[in-house]
Amino acid sequence: MLKLKNITKVFNKGTVNESSLFTNFSFEVKRGEFVSVVGSNGSGKTTMLNIISGTLPIDGGSVELEGRDITRLPEFRRAAVIGRVFQDPTVGTVPGMTILENLSLAANKGSPYNFCFALDRKKSTEFRELVSSLGLGLEDKMNVPVGLLSGGQRQALSLFMSTMTDIDLLLLDEHTAALDPRTAETIMTLTDTIVKDKKLTAVMVTHNLRYAVSYGNRMIMMHKGEVVLDKSGEEKDAVVTDDLLDIFNEISIECGN
Amino acid sequence: MLFYGTTVDGLKMGLCFAVLALGVYISYSILDFPDLSVDGIFPLGGVLSTILMLKLGFHPVLAVLLTFFAGAVAGALTGVLHVRFKITKLLAGIIVMTGFLSINLALTKFLTKTGYTTTIFSFKSEGLDGLFGGNFLSGFSRNVRNYIIIAILLLFVIAGKILLDLFFKTKLGYMLRATGENEKIVTSLGRDPGRYKILGLAIADGLVAVSGALYSQLYSSYDNNSGTGKVVLALAAVIIGMALFSGARRVKDTTAVIIGAVIYSLCLNYLVLVDRDGIYLKLLNAVMFALILIFNDKLTALNHRRRTVKGITAKSEEITAGGEGDA
Repeated sequence: MLKLKNITKVFNKGTVNESSLFTNFSFEVKRGEFVSVVGSNGSGKTTMLNIISGTLPIDGGSVELEGRDITRLPEFRRAAVIGRVFQDPTVGTVPGMTILENLSLAANKGSPYNFCFALDRKKSTEFRELVSSLGLGLEDKMNVPVGLLSGGQRQALSLFMSTMTDIDLLLLDEHTAALDPRTAETIMTLTDTIVKDKKLTAVMVTHNLRYAVSYGNRMIMMHKGEVVLDKSGEEKDAVVTDDLLDIFNEISIECGN
Repeated sequence: MLFYGTTVDGLKMGLCFAVLALGVYISYSILDFPDLSVDGIFPLGGVLSTILMLKLGFHPVLAVLLTFFAGAVAGALTGVLHVRFKITKLLAGIIVMTGFLSINLALTKFLTKTGYTTTIFSFKSEGLDGLFGGNFLSGFSRNVRNYIIIAILLLFVIAGKILLDLFFKTKLGYMLRATGENEKIVTSLGRDPGRYKILGLAIADGLVAVSGALYSQLYSSYDNNSGTGKVVLALAAVIIGMALFSGARRVKDTTAVIIGAVIYSLCLNYLVLVDRDGIYLKLLNAVMFALILIFNDKLTALNHRRRTVKGITAKSEEITAGGEGDA
């Protein structure tokens, strides 16, 4: 359902600093796959997400989603069917607006933002119930501006908001990296639950090898703009963190680090 | 008696500028866009409403409402320069402001030196009927007339405030607020944040033009230089209002801004009492603005602390205890 075909991406084109990251890079994700992506810094993980979401333009190749060529679609148009959670918990919510207000914005995705009132009693109750199902105690803070919540709570809300409406693809960009270990764990569990419940297709970039191993049903490792390891299904289940670390080290030694 | 007169004048001026401040509140506070085109669009409202009434015979209220659209077009232009052509916010505003100084000048060509027309505030005089026709108001004393003028202005201001309050409760209004605070989320909601910026600036500058129209009708005159310093004035009003009421969550921002505009205008008028020659007026004005900015920080911090102690801290403890947070 997601197809990256022959992607070429060159940074600083035409300058002395020109460096090409992707040359004829191809990658496919099938419906229902939850892919965790690992790799060292500069391996192209986040760039790949940015290319999928349309944040970065590409120099060659095409991006297809559900059989539709979206290469030329601007970011905001792709966002209609792609949900994304960023590393920074402040990016996914509006800090000055309350939880209720944030939720009403997210729930309306795909419908017109017009002169209808954004909230009413019925919707408020509905949102409160939805949020209480998260089990984070956020249902008592419905009228608190999101800016006053902790990083973990904001990230939980971002995750929840980005999956409130029907989306084809969920992109998770190191979404637990800015959180303390315990909170990160909570968010990861929540992610897993949401992805399974809504049967989402997801691509998760992470630096946490343990998360990459224990969550999702497919795992890839990237290095210098190429996929160097691709395991799914039972093959993936057999991978343990130490194996990954070994491969990681091997690559690093090759690079002379 | 002098003090009383000054206060009444200040109130009238303040309510006129309250509409201006509401506009700047949208651009500066909600959209995070310090819009300098205000200095050119305020007089545009004045000259347009004057032409509409004097030369084209429009009803004064209709003239005021029509200037909204002219201002909106100008505001949208600032937005387009910034959004589509990537000109920085400040420069986009300055370009539009500079351009409109000439356009306003060109528009004044349509006006002869003086003329007679009915304004929103006019009473039967010079052989013309007042807005409410016939002899309405003509029998009242000067004092009562002043109160009625203030009431008429209040009507406009309150109507504007209520419309804005309602607007910011709609889905579109929410999107505008989101655009100012976090553009990225607008993108993730599948919408182009640039469009909301342009729309927001259009509404903001529409209000600016309306304020200019009210101002010229209030003083029955139009001056090409009337825009000078209006950005500073409006920003001061917005900042004073928001700082004063930063501790009171029940008071809506729009109300705070209106009160800020009135307070600032009153202060400006009292300054004239101190400095009769008007030589140091701008200096005093600048000093006052600086003082406001200095105290604004302290006041906001103080109010914030008071509020935090009262409500939020208790809540955040709950959060930590109840779940996974590190509030």
